[in-house]
Amino acid sequence: MNAFWIITTGSLVAITCSLLGCYLILRKMAMIGDAISHAVLPGIVIAFLYTGQRDSMVMLFAAALTGVFTTLLIELIHKKGKLQTDASIGVTFTLLFAIGIIMISVFAGQVDLDQDCVLYGEIAYVPFDVWLLDSGINLGPRAIWVLGGVLLIIIAFISLGYKPLYATTFDPGFAFTIGISIPLWHYLLMSLVSITTVASFEIVGAILVIAFLVVPPATAYLLTDDFKKMLMISSGIGILTAGSGYYLAVALNGSIAGAMAVMAGIFFTLAFFFSPSHGLLFKKLRKKRALLQGHEEGATTI
Amino acid sequence: MIKEAKNPVLEIHDLTVTYHKKPVLWDIDLTIPAGSLTGIIGPNGAGKSTLIKTIMGLIKPSSGYSKIFDKPLDEVRKRVSYVPQRGSVDWDFPASVFDVVLMGRYSDAGMFKRIRKADRELAMDALQKVGMEKFSKRQISELSGGQQQRVFLARALAQHADLYFMDEPFAGVDAATENAIIDLLHEMTGKGKTVVVVHHDLQSAIKYFEWILLLNTRLVASGPVTEVFTSELLQKTYGGKLTLLTEIGNLLQREGLPARETK
Repeated sequence: MNAFWIITTGSLVAITCSLLGCYLILRKMAMIGDAISHAVLPGIVIAFLYTGQRDSMVMLFAAALTGVFTTLLIELIHKKGKLQTDASIGVTFTLLFAIGIIMISVFAGQVDLDQDCVLYGEIAYVPFDVWLLDSGINLGPRAIWVLGGVLLIIIAFISLGYKPLYATTFDPGFAFTIGISIPLWHYLLMSLVSITTVASFEIVGAILVIAFLVVPPATAYLLTDDFKKMLMISSGIGILTAGSGYYLAVALNGSIAGAMAVMAGIFFTLAFFFSPSHGLLFKKLRKKRALLQGHEEGATTI
Repeated sequence: MIKEAKNPVLEIHDLTVTYHKKPVLWDIDLTIPAGSLTGIIGPNGAGKSTLIKTIMGLIKPSSGYSKIFDKPLDEVRKRVSYVPQRGSVDWDFPASVFDVVLMGRYSDAGMFKRIRKADRELAMDALQKVGMEKFSKRQISELSGGQQQRVFLARALAQHADLYFMDEPFAGVDAATENAIIDLLHEMTGKGKTVVVVHHDLQSAIKYFEWILLLNTRLVASGPVTEVFTSELLQKTYGGKLTLLTEIGNLLQREGLPARETK
């Protein structure tokens, strides 16, 4: 049963992150996801100190706010300071993350968080942290409920906002001229990335969150040319990653989050070489075939 | 030489755009007649693209305003279509030709409603008009430059607007596509639509457009092509660049005859 809960939790994180990640990588903002997942830490600690609990709506809200604040700060440094985007990202998130770490160590007594938990998560403990009703009914792991809720929000967001999201991702200039607000969808997306990050990171850690935000979407990108399929394939790969990662960890008796991130990398490598459309192997074969055909037709065409 | 259009669909008043405190467009006042095929001509960095981006609201002007169909843009957005430069998007994006053209229907179909069958048919019609119906399922990364431009054009056609702004639609396209596009634009203006095109080739400008804007940060001229294409005005626009001046001289000698071989 424990394995089931851990894989389910991992899969929920994977699907949520992969869906958003598809938009992030196509908007060339994968590193923004990285930045947000780290930079929300001080926001979480402050929310902790205020409410004294972990799974509150206040905390998700605080995370969304910190996430948007992070992107604003990055844009501010980029535009006003004329610093390159990637450098602005680096400056912003390391600073905010470090502030968060200091806050954790200073308020260690009052905050139920530690550096290990932030970086690596505690997915192995998920099955033990159950949601018990006052009447004594066991509703299963708390994480499942939180992550399930977030996943539903993300799915609703993507299905309702499919057209404006698609248009602003592909061609923001055109999207604007047909009346879509570019900042609105940008910041909605950033808020959701923040919420997802916060809901996920105490379970799988900040590093696996980044892995899930970027690697399954990047793998799916190599496997399809259709955006809707890309969303589905990256979710599917996310689930496969969570499942196989768990068993890899069991086999090696190692870190579950680490094993999941490694599996994400392995799936990516497979797609990189063997994808029918973009893989290196098939590209080479196609080139060869095209060349041969070219030789045969050469006489007639030119 | 700035001539007032009799029946303007677009008017611009005192428009100035600056970038990092340097003026890109300076005090532009102009009108464009309804149903015309208008070319915006000028050297690199003259502010041609900036002008249409400002009209479309993509760039905020420092001062001045424009009116379309005698109204602010926000009230007539659905009647205006914008075709960005081909190079402004990532053509490796996971989308098919049809996906892109369908975006032209987003506004009319309703942003949060399902795409109806009628919208799909209109998108397909638009593809047919640019001769790309066979490519509807094709991945956009597999298109040539000319085909990419046709897809952008089809997306604009699918919007069923009355006024079109196109940013360098002839840049880097093959001759066949250029001819196909110009025929299409003439067909559109024949039906009373107005098309405004950013263009950089003087030689073809003279045979393509009826109304010409000569732009170099300031508006040098705006009027019918026959009145605007004088050596004096062109010299003012291009600022005495030698090679260009000889080209212009040749052009004028031929007195507006097609400077390029027609096939």
